[in-house]
Amino acid sequence: MATESNFEESPAVPVTHGHPEGAHHPPGGVTIYVMVAVALVFLTSLSYATHLPIWNTLVGDNIAVKRTWMMAVSCTKAMLVILFFMHLKWEANWKWIVTVPASMMSILLMLALVPDIGRRMYHASHERMIYAAEVPPGEPMPGTGLRPPRHQMGQPQLHGPSEPPLSPNNGE
Amino acid sequence: MHSTTDHGHHTGLQYQPGLPLPNGKLFLWLFLSTEIMFFSGLIGAYIVLRFGAADWPLTHDVHLVELWGAINTAVLICSSITVVLALEAARRDNTSAAKGWILLTFVLGCAFLGVKSYEYSQKFAHQLYPALPHSQMYEKADVNYAAAVRLRLAQLQLDVSNWEKEAAGLEQASPKDAAAESRIAQLKQQVSDAKSVLNPLQQELTKAEVTMRENPDSPEGRILMLQLADHIYPRAKMHQHHAESAPAESAPAEEHPAKAAAATSGPQLTLVQHETAAAESHVAGGEHLEGLNDKYPWLKLPIMIPGGNLWASTYFLVTGFHAIHVIVGLIAFALLMPKTLGIAKAGLIENIGLYWHFVDLVWIFLFPLLYLF
Repeated sequence: MATESNFEESPAVPVTHGHPEGAHHPPGGVTIYVMVAVALVFLTSLSYATHLPIWNTLVGDNIAVKRTWMMAVSCTKAMLVILFFMHLKWEANWKWIVTVPASMMSILLMLALVPDIGRRMYHASHERMIYAAEVPPGEPMPGTGLRPPRHQMGQPQLHGPSEPPLSPNNGE
Repeated sequence: MHSTTDHGHHTGLQYQPGLPLPNGKLFLWLFLSTEIMFFSGLIGAYIVLRFGAADWPLTHDVHLVELWGAINTAVLICSSITVVLALEAARRDNTSAAKGWILLTFVLGCAFLGVKSYEYSQKFAHQLYPALPHSQMYEKADVNYAAAVRLRLAQLQLDVSNWEKEAAGLEQASPKDAAAESRIAQLKQQVSDAKSVLNPLQQELTKAEVTMRENPDSPEGRILMLQLADHIYPRAKMHQHHAESAPAESAPAEEHPAKAAAATSGPQLTLVQHETAAAESHVAGGEHLEGLNDKYPWLKLPIMIPGGNLWASTYFLVTGFHAIHVIVGLIAFALLMPKTLGIAKAGLIENIGLYWHFVDLVWIFLFPLLYLF
């Protein structure tokens, strides 16, 4: 690493003209990369652990806890990859301009889908209810705020038809 | 920085780039920021569609195996580290080491695609397709599903009657050689095998359809139809839930499990009483249950998976686009390999590596969302 002193975030990093790679040699080295990779594999196993029986005995069977845990682990892994493998830890301030707006847009995009797409079962039309999936009796009801609280076979629904037509011929 | 510029006096001019990084890298990062939005559109749509869906299949019900996903995650992580090691080697001008690491990355990428294609083939083998005409997934066991099962049974019955006709024709031919005899025997065996499976199914279907038609207000007919769907394609979601809830509460009343379950969980639960004990034991291991479609692969009857169609659409879309990105990365590595990977090519390796890490990044989020949620 010839320019090890230059890895600090600073817009005033001198650029070696004609040899662009010279500017940003990350100080990482092989050791840090191997450590990051081991950490990534370890974190993957932490995600996988939510599906092992030991998780239920130690932490409990709450699916919301599992999902939060898995997303936290995934974000940690993503940060490790971005910071070390993609060398963003050693880049100058331009990195924020390129990454932060795109990430914010991605979250906004997801939230923008919620009213019309996420909560579509709240105001489903007759046609949609005829072909929509139904939770068969005796099966666990999926529970999130994006679904109507009751949508089960043989039970009256708030906005949909109570019964689909018995057969295509009877519909007329 | 010579900013003083006199007209006709250019000697003091010096080129100053806007950002302290090479143009290639800047544009690759801009491309990656568009890729962030591309994949967040896909993944966000998956999340929103999934959590707003009326029902969603369990991973085992659609033949997703967590272990394969975990292995693929590990493979991509390993390929990420081989890429950075190739970059390090190229910066030290160690061309042979760099080439070796790039080759290893290429092999690991191929391994990822191999596992992925095996997973896809497992889905296709169980009629889990994203669209018609191959997809035979129904969202609920209603009259439409009954009609689809009836149609498929009619097709199979037609095959059987064709075999019967062929056997009768061969028998009427007067000079019979050994080949014809063995063909007749084979056909008769086929016919009796098929009939032993098809006839009970036909009866079960007719009973369910007639009950639905004659008593439309009672859930009885639909429960019969659900039982039929469960025989064709048993879902762990139904069996697991029942195995967890019923035996725990009604262990002493083992001689009347149906009554006990009905008493504890309401009258609608009686439909799952017919399930075989063998099927229940499979659930504990998290494997897929064996239904008629698995037992007799030639049946290929329509299957009932609530939420299965939306699952298939999103799963194949998201993993398919990720696989396309992997293929593009592999092409880039293949183009890189014939070159001399010295210090002059370090920038190129870095840029391709950035893209490859991004592909890894996407999988980091896809693995828990698709396999573990």
